[in-house]
Amino acid sequence: MNRKTSIAGIAAAMLISGVLNAQSATVLYNERVVELEQTLPDATDLWVKPEDLTRVNDFVLKPEGACLDALCVPVLQDRDSAMFVTRQGQAWFNVTELADKLQQAYVTDYNDGVWSFGTMPVTRQSFLRGGEAPDFELMGRDGEPVRLSDFRGKKVLLLTWASW
Amino acid sequence: MPVWQSIYEELKSENFEIISVAQDTGGEEAAGHFYDDANVTYTALIDVNHQISSLYNLVNVPSGVWVDEEGKIMRINEGTYAKTHFDGAWGTDDYVPIVRDWVAKGADSEYVWDRTKVRESIIQRTPEAERAQPAFRLGGYYFTGGNDEKAEQYWTMAQELDPTSWNYLRQDLQYEDGGSAGPEWNKRRAEIESAGGSYYAPLEIDN
Repeated sequence: MNRKTSIAGIAAAMLISGVLNAQSATVLYNERVVELEQTLPDATDLWVKPEDLTRVNDFVLKPEGACLDALCVPVLQDRDSAMFVTRQGQAWFNVTELADKLQQAYVTDYNDGVWSFGTMPVTRQSFLRGGEAPDFELMGRDGEPVRLSDFRGKKVLLLTWASW
Repeated sequence: MPVWQSIYEELKSENFEIISVAQDTGGEEAAGHFYDDANVTYTALIDVNHQISSLYNLVNVPSGVWVDEEGKIMRINEGTYAKTHFDGAWGTDDYVPIVRDWVAKGADSEYVWDRTKVRESIIQRTPEAERAQPAFRLGGYYFTGGNDEKAEQYWTMAQELDPTSWNYLRQDLQYEDGGSAGPEWNKRRAEIESAGGSYYAPLEIDN
């Protein structure tokens, strides 16, 4: 097999596997580690099935767009766009395009398909401008989740430290 | 930690809680025994991803934040100690009295900051520093999975993206020769201090 044929063969194989077996990906966001069985292969962006969107970043795809509480980012769903495409009847949502729109930072290990997302600035305004304490949820040592908001009505001294 | 426990015993009946959060990639194994040895009864957490430092824009430990009954920040970003340690080598005896004053007087305490002061005391991040957080998180993912090479790659990236974070630097140094308080840390600290800077945000008691 000459080189040209082999490259074409690999490309064809990738195309077929891309269509039939969309590649898996791992998403890190806050404390969560989300394993996605299928994403749309893309050199730079993360495309997920609409039903996976909420697992990834809490957004819900509605007719009016991708929504988080009162915030909705408009998304046309009757045609392809940078945010949304349909391939062979399967809809795909571009999570990294949404992150760019929201100025949400992320870092990707493309080799392993691991996408690590930072906090969303839209959820940070009450802290940065209003001095409100950001709520958090961490797993307690007994396995029960602990939230700052569990202590509403008390004064809280929040202390960070480290063993190192 | 035993000192914070005694302060908690003293003040807990006054609608007061201490939430202590270890910024420790090493998790329970690295940090848990400190809580157990001091028999702490306040809320003791271990934060492998440094989520709290990330959310509150903190870059060093120990750091303290006061949160009032409605969830408003009253003080933030202070090098917080329960007492002086090793004959004054580090720490302060000035912080606990102002905590007592706040718990007793609430918003009337002279040590409560106004909204402007709180806002100005929150560290502002550059867009690069915003990317440091997911980079550090990615390094932690690989560290947990046993891939030290990639952990190092992304932890180094986090330090380059946010060179102001002592947490990212020292968490990483812990796993290298010299440790988290070794020659590299001393060198960085000396550089900051000789330039007139401060390793910790200075504690402002008189305001």
